[in-house]
Amino acid sequence: MAGIDSQDIHKIIVACDAGMGSSVMLASQLRKQLKDSGVTVEHTPVNSIPDDADVVVCHTGLAARARAAAPGKVLVSFQIFLGDPAVTKLVNTIKNGGVVDA
Amino acid sequence: MREDLLDPRAVLLHERAPDREAAIRRCGRALVEVGAVAEPYVAAMLERERSISTYVGEGVAIPHGTNASKDDILRDALCFIRFPDGVDWDGERVTVCVGIAAREGGHVPLLAALAEILMDPDRARTLREATEVAQVMKELTL
Repeated sequence: MAGIDSQDIHKIIVACDAGMGSSVMLASQLRKQLKDSGVTVEHTPVNSIPDDADVVVCHTGLAARARAAAPGKVLVSFQIFLGDPAVTKLVNTIKNGGVVDA
Repeated sequence: MREDLLDPRAVLLHERAPDREAAIRRCGRALVEVGAVAEPYVAAMLERERSISTYVGEGVAIPHGTNASKDDILRDALCFIRFPDGVDWDGERVTVCVGIAAREGGHVPLLAALAEILMDPDRARTLREATEVAQVMKELTL
């Protein structure tokens, strides 16, 4: 998949292994930052990524598992749980328009 | 927020741990002691940590179990454990662990509050340096 235009992003899934720790924290931050954008943000375990996810956000260490669990989804991976540049870029692209690369 | 999510008995502010594994075991024991998890959950916390560090920034780590260990969770609960001397966390220095046991979403508001605090270095420092249980409860449950 080449990427996704910000206007086509309706649902972001933050995935982690158990879906109870870091993904919860990051999803809460994203939800706050994207409050006025109409984009839904949810957190799930990496093996339960829903079909209607437009973008999947997960830790670099889980990227391979996320790709296998949700093939074809645009994946944004991060290394720092809070304040990662990749996540900041995603938020800015959604707010200002543009394409999020796969 | 549910009353028993963060039991004051699971807020320990003057602990010591020689290494990351000991710190995680301490978190696990606190969760066992308040009746939130069964003993095998502690091993799952160690296993989860080995796959990807639960360090989240500002000297804070959030150890928790694996997806497969959720059956060992008896109720959603957190612990807050402070290690004033610090613990080496794979190259990072951790002084606070927020241990997590959650099968449902009861803990989401508290982790959201924690995320907010960690985005603000002054509030993060206040939390790291807290010496009173009431102070921690207040910061996290506002």
